[in-house]
Amino acid sequence: MAHRYDVLGLFDNEYDDEGFRTCSVTGLRIHRTVENHVKLFGLTAVVALLVGGIFAFTVATTRWEAIGLLGPDAFYTHLSMHAWNLLIFWMVFMEVAILYVGGPMVLGRRLPWTKVATAGWLTMVAGAVAVNYTIWTTSAPNEAPLLTAYVPMPVSPWFYAAACLFIVGTVIAALPFFVAMWREKREHPGKTLPLVAFAAFVTSIIAVEALVGGLVAFAPAMLWRLEIIEWVDAAWYRQMYWIIGHGTQQINLVAMITVWYFLTHVVAGAEVVSEKVSRTAFILYLFFINLGAAHHLLSDPAVSTGWRIWNTSYAFYGATFASLIHAFAIPAGIEAGRRKRGKGGGLFGWLTSAPWGNPVFSSTIFSIILFGFLGGITGVMMGQLQLNMTWHNTFATVGHFHATVVLGTTVAFMGLLFFLIRTMFRRQWLSTRLAAIQPYLYAGAMGVAVLMMMYVGILYGVPRRTVEVVSNIQGTEFDLAAASPLFAIFGIFALLAIAAGVLFILLAVGSLLFGKRIDDESNVSDLVADGGLALAEDPDDPVHAYEMRGTFVLCLVFLAAFVITYLLNWYLLTQLWAIGA
Amino acid sequence: MTSPLKPPEGDWWSQPVNRRESIWLGLGAVWSVILFGWMSVWTTAGEQNPIGETYRIESEAFREKLSAYKDAATETDEGLVPPGTDVYIQAMRFYWDGAPVVLEAGTEYDIHLNSMDVQHGFSLRPEDALSKQINLQVLPGYEWVVPMTFDEPGTYHIICNEFCGQGHRTMHGTIIVTEGS
Ligand code: HEM
Ligand SMILES: [Cu+2]
Repeated sequence: MAHRYDVLGLFDNEYDDEGFRTCSVTGLRIHRTVENHVKLFGLTAVVALLVGGIFAFTVATTRWEAIGLLGPDAFYTHLSMHAWNLLIFWMVFMEVAILYVGGPMVLGRRLPWTKVATAGWLTMVAGAVAVNYTIWTTSAPNEAPLLTAYVPMPVSPWFYAAACLFIVGTVIAALPFFVAMWREKREHPGKTLPLVAFAAFVTSIIAVEALVGGLVAFAPAMLWRLEIIEWVDAAWYRQMYWIIGHGTQQINLVAMITVWYFLTHVVAGAEVVSEKVSRTAFILYLFFINLGAAHHLLSDPAVSTGWRIWNTSYAFYGATFASLIHAFAIPAGIEAGRRKRGKGGGLFGWLTSAPWGNPVFSSTIFSIILFGFLGGITGVMMGQLQLNMTWHNTFATVGHFHATVVLGTTVAFMGLLFFLIRTMFRRQWLSTRLAAIQPYLYAGAMGVAVLMMMYVGILYGVPRRTVEVVSNIQGTEFDLAAASPLFAIFGIFALLAIAAGVLFILLAVGSLLFGKRIDDESNVSDLVADGGLALAEDPDDPVHAYEMRGTFVLCLVFLAAFVITYLLNWYLLTQLWAIGA
Repeated sequence: MTSPLKPPEGDWWSQPVNRRESIWLGLGAVWSVILFGWMSVWTTAGEQNPIGETYRIESEAFREKLSAYKDAATETDEGLVPPGTDVYIQAMRFYWDGAPVVLEAGTEYDIHLNSMDVQHGFSLRPEDALSKQINLQVLPGYEWVVPMTFDEPGTYHIICNEFCGQGHRTMHGTIIVTEGS
């Protein structure tokens, strides 16, 4: 029965007397409370994606100086809107939805404390609106905060207050998840959590650590701007800020990997090739990944060398090792799972026979490949103490994090939304053909744009966060015009990527408004992996015994790319004059 | 049971790991150790490290040092010639005080970096080889002494690469490196 406010009929699935229904694609028993909240958070995320995406256009066409859309007065405000709506609001609203999926939904429970969940959502929305308002109304002597709001730059105190409000809202929204996990453990003390639920739990702990760090940075900064406390040290703020600034990226990473395990299983028949190994990787994240925040301080004066090396390396690359584990385990899961389903002749038959026309699958695969090759490798590069000097605050940094949060997380989350539109909102995609090509356009165009960002940064030293620097630097003959040709390529592909982003929004919103209602289970059967999911439950047919040759070859290619990029980066560094003690 | 959506049953910890996955774990572990080892060794064996002494200092105190240094330095058409091997540069919205400065190739200088007001970015490259560039964060409240020995004469450009306000894009300075004597 539809709620009276639900005029679009987006929240009106049929449930049994206890409020459950069984999903014919995943086989999960889904409670109304979970489903409706997942939808609510997911829809809100799409709104943030739209707002932030509009500013991607203005920001990209400003940095492409051949167009040079905005002047400095507007640019920094636009850049701040871009960063906060996409990196924070789009991602965090999605992540709360993912926690509800990974926790109560996978466990077949109802969402406890639904009023708290709704209150958390309201607080987050209020915080997000307030952040947007304070950024948009920035006026002298205040400057736009950008993502970081570094003290002692004068930024509106109300901006810090709004950011704190959003953080508190997120913690509130996470509470029902923790209660669900707590109750599950109380009721079934001896039962192991499913991998996806375990991963969601790890995500949530990393999230809480990050959010607390945010309050520790923003609250004093606000008090300082209100002149209640006298001074906030710039280095101290940076260290505290990056607990949340990078911590949220760890949430993006772990949530994305959770989605990878979930979607590759459901739409391609992937299985967990080793519970022990994959879970160990998540545990390594839990212990080590937060240390990585230090890689934002590698070219800073105020932290010691030992501290920088220890932390940026996640203590001997503990978290990098964990990511290398997933880099094998996930494709291996697809390969072995598909071989088991009789879909895997030869070295790569499991890949060529995969459902490439299904945007849920193609998004997930592009996310895995592009995150690894472009985002992961470059992250390790710039996370090395010395190489960081050649990346820090250049456009290459922007390239790195668009490879992680756009090509990686955003593409994976788009795939998840394609999936939710069919399975939860129960609407057909407005156009199956357009939906099928959207991931190719978006990931392809953005992939090129990201590479160009990296090149202009590393090869021409083009800085990030500025309006005009390539064609002209005011007050000097010197310029970075040599980078213009690469910027032209960047500009064209950025515009293509934005067009593909628009296509995603049109498809998502269009399907929800005008898509055909799904009332027959055969209408979603195209989403189910070949051979169905029950195969994964046969104890006499263990998946680890299947071949993983193809994955092994792909991983060796990946390692080779890693090593070559590493050598090239070090080669460039050694070309420099002598620096440092 | 090997579905990520179902609780694993039985003694899942003792399930064998595929041989190829084990090999990959070994490769990953070795690579992790190499990454750590190389970065650590380079701090002592390598020529390029973002490492130098750091002191806490008020902006005004640094300004006094800077003006004493300027008094002792020689003004030329090209820029300041420092009296010794200490070079002082203070970032402020929107210029680099202490630049232009004239240095000699082959001499090790101690570059003292500080900011008068907000955070700035010290991004340096020679005019004719843009890919040779380094970037250091400059903070108010800290004096960072980074040694540098330029091996090639030429004009080196400083661009600010941390957003510092509306005039950020104009924040530029130069270091002129002359043939060593
Ligand atoms: C078609 C898509 C996109 C394009 C063309 C694009 C373009 C850009 C460009 C050119 C900049 C750099 C501006 C500068 O430093 O001067 C930038 C900054 C940024 N973008 Fe994007 N972007 C896109 C999507 C995204 C998405 C999906 C996210 C997050 C999930 C994101 C997060 C950020 C962040 C955090 C910054 C840095 C803001 C700062 O410096 O404070 N972008 N983007
Ligand atoms: Cu500046």
